Amino acid sequence: MQINFAAKELTIKLVYYGPALSGKTTNLKSLHALTSKEARGRLMTLETKDDRTLFFDMLPLAFKAKDGGASLRIKVLTVPGQVVHGSTRRLVLQGADGILFVADSQVSETENNAASFLDLRSNLKELGLTMRDMPTVIQFNKRDLPNIRSQEEIEGMAKKGREPIFLARAVDGDGVLESFFGLLKITWSRLEAENQLERTLGLSAAEVLPLAHEKLGVEKPLSELLSKSLGFAISDPRFDAPRGPRVPGAGGIPGVGSAPRTGGKP
Amino acid sequence: MNTPQRQSWRPGGEELSDVKLEDLVSREGLLELVESVVDLFGIPIRVYSASNGLLADAAHDQEVCNYVNTFGSGRTLCGTTVSAAKSASPGETGSALHACFTGNSYRIVALEYETRNVGRLIIGPYLPAATVEVPLTLTAVEGVEPEKARVYLARMPRAKEDTIQRIADHFKRALDLIMFAGHKTFLTSQMHLAAVTESFREMQEKNRRLEEANTRLRELDRLKSNFLATVSHELRTPLTSIIGYSEMLSEGLAGDMNQEQREFVLTIREKGEQLLGLISGLLDLSKLESGTLSVKRKVVSVRSIADTALSTVAPNAKKKGVNLATNIASSVVDITVDPDRFRQVFINLLDNAIKFTPENGTITIVAKNIGMMESDGEDDDQDGFSLLTPVDPRIEIRILDTGIGIPQNERAKVFDAFYQVDSSSTREFGGTGLGLSIVKRLVEAHGGTVHVEGNEPQGTAFVVRIPASGMPPRGT
Ligand SMILES: Nc1nc2c(ncn2[C@@H]2O[C@H](COP(=O)(O)OP(=O)(O)OP(=O)(O)O)[C@@H](O)[C@H]2O)c(=O)[nH]1
Ligand SMILES: Nc1ncnc2c1ncn2[C@@H]1O[C@H](COP(=O)(O)OP(=O)(O)O)[C@@H](O)[C@H]1O
Ligand SMILES: [Mg+2]
Repeated sequence: MQINFAAKELTIKLVYYGPALSGKTTNLKSLHALTSKEARGRLMTLETKDDRTLFFDMLPLAFKAKDGGASLRIKVLTVPGQVVHGSTRRLVLQGADGILFVADSQVSETENNAASFLDLRSNLKELGLTMRDMPTVIQFNKRDLPNIRSQEEIEGMAKKGREPIFLARAVDGDGVLESFFGLLKITWSRLEAENQLERTLGLSAAEVLPLAHEKLGVEKPLSELLSKSLGFAISDPRFDAPRGPRVPGAGGIPGVGSAPRTGGKP
Repeated sequence: MNTPQRQSWRPGGEELSDVKLEDLVSREGLLELVESVVDLFGIPIRVYSASNGLLADAAHDQEVCNYVNTFGSGRTLCGTTVSAAKSASPGETGSALHACFTGNSYRIVALEYETRNVGRLIIGPYLPAATVEVPLTLTAVEGVEPEKARVYLARMPRAKEDTIQRIADHFKRALDLIMFAGHKTFLTSQMHLAAVTESFREMQEKNRRLEEANTRLRELDRLKSNFLATVSHELRTPLTSIIGYSEMLSEGLAGDMNQEQREFVLTIREKGEQLLGLISGLLDLSKLESGTLSVKRKVVSVRSIADTALSTVAPNAKKKGVNLATNIASSVVDITVDPDRFRQVFINLLDNAIKFTPENGTITIVAKNIGMMESDGEDDDQDGFSLLTPVDPRIEIRILDTGIGIPQNERAKVFDAFYQVDSSSTREFGGTGLGLSIVKRLVEAHGGTVHVEGNEPQGTAFVVRIPASGMPPRGT
């Protein structure tokens, strides 16, 4: 996160991590397509001929809180998933405020997901960080494919795990906004808790998410987006202080298609 | 891209806050873009950086401007207008109008990249399309003739405000695209540099760790050799006594023994000698490994070494019913080696050959001069002979047997200490598994190589190659 007090400007950096070909770039492309022209910049992809990310992809999003108010910039970056680009991943990870881990739902990719997660952990360690320091959301992508980890299985894992989980079909844009706002939510909570952003920039947690939602021109209601998290509700206030121990058994009704809850307002 | 690389550069970090228009787009490129728009609409355009530096200027003098500048007060007014236009703010909306006393207009347009201000565009002067009269502010200038002013003003490019706005929008879009491309190139090169640096750092780090591990291993190895040397030496002393006394016993120096007693004592002696052999081998090996074995070189003939070695193993061979033969070309040059050590090489190889060759087999020592450098192939074809011929002539010695042979995949391993192809053979043939590792180290101490080949159709060939000088070849 970077704050420019003179310009009243806050920049946060979200990184999409995950194994090769899990759909990180696709997520970014869909996010680009699903957000309003006014708030999004050009999608920059630094990739090779065969569409594999070489250095990173970057989608800048920017909007103003209110007239004369602080402006918020969100940079969404993807890492190159291929194993050889280890050092590049570490560079991209530097200064990240939150991570969306894009996993491939296919059963056959289970090991690659795990390897990439371990890679993330060791890269964070090299940067002097732990997973606990880093707001993280997990996305199980490619839900349209056959031979995937079942939803029940993922729900079960979500309950035991620390991270909120979203299901997605990034090619069709499904679950892309849900994951993004989920990540933005917990990242903001963390930043707010650590930097008193409300006091310094006049941006409160309660207003930032609806503001981003409005400025990015997203049609689906925010509460509906956030209600899609598996395991427990992302709008749960415990994310506002994510360093503490998890309250067990406090999960909401999990799953895609469950009745929307009134989330988003802690 | 002349933004200097900052130490903490990171993708998606704060690098954009100070991105400058002039860093993303070359001046030449910018000028070309400006000129293309000026050619199209005939209206002057200038581009300023965020810090007010003029980056591109495709304005040409207008007649009315030249005309007012011929009068003192006109010149003053013109100067004020132009400098005011230059520093005028495009305002909140990003686009502002600035009027000239001649009735012309300037439009000042903010240039942005990713919602950050990177400079200004000044379009003009142009005459607003609606103008019909020569404005009073122009005719009021002392010396200006209204008729002339009307004529010059009529020659000004005219434009409607929304046309100007469209020109500005078009220009901004084109420029944005160019800046994006420039930015992408900038990031790519930064990223490339950073990734290479990072990979290099990583590799250095790994190398350092490997080197450390290597040093530690070498140290351990040295300790092990020292330990072995000490232990072997300490073991040898009492063992020599055991052997000596059992020898005296069996010779009846301490009184007569019955048959059974003598057999027992002989067994003690035999096993003692076996043990001594093992310990000597270990001692040799550890000396060789620690590099403390002294090599006293002399010029000797291959034949003389072969002959003494053969005479040593002859009784053994005879007992086993194995024939010994030599085939040493008369042209074979003398070698400069430590004769005792080199005889040890021959003896070890011959001992093995006898051990693993059944009755009526034959063991042959073959020696010849060779030209080829390090060709461990089965056949010495002469490709590239002139290039591969070493400065030192080399001698190749082959010890051939017709025994059980060594399978292809075992051929490299037999030189490892204590390695035996079939450890059950120890029971049948005896041996410690040290012989060949001693051979290898001795040969290498003389700058040579040793490897195993098959001896067609049956048996094993041990191939020893050494420089005739017995020194490592030059350049290694
Ligand atoms: N069936 C299906 N395919 C998907 C989905 N999301 C992405 N893909 C496909 O997966 C492939 C890889 O997607 P990318 O987004 O380029 O993967 P990446 O994670 O950026 O890969 P790297 O850049 O190599 O790390 C592409 O062919 C996508 O079309 C999905 O939800 N369903
Ligand atoms: N001439 C040979 N024919 C077949 N096998 C051999 C021959 N020379 C050596 N070997 C194999 O290599 C092993 C290692 O040899 P060496 O180091 O001399 O130890 P050893 O004391 O067992 O002979 C032997 O145990 C044997 O299996
Ligand atoms: Mg990619």
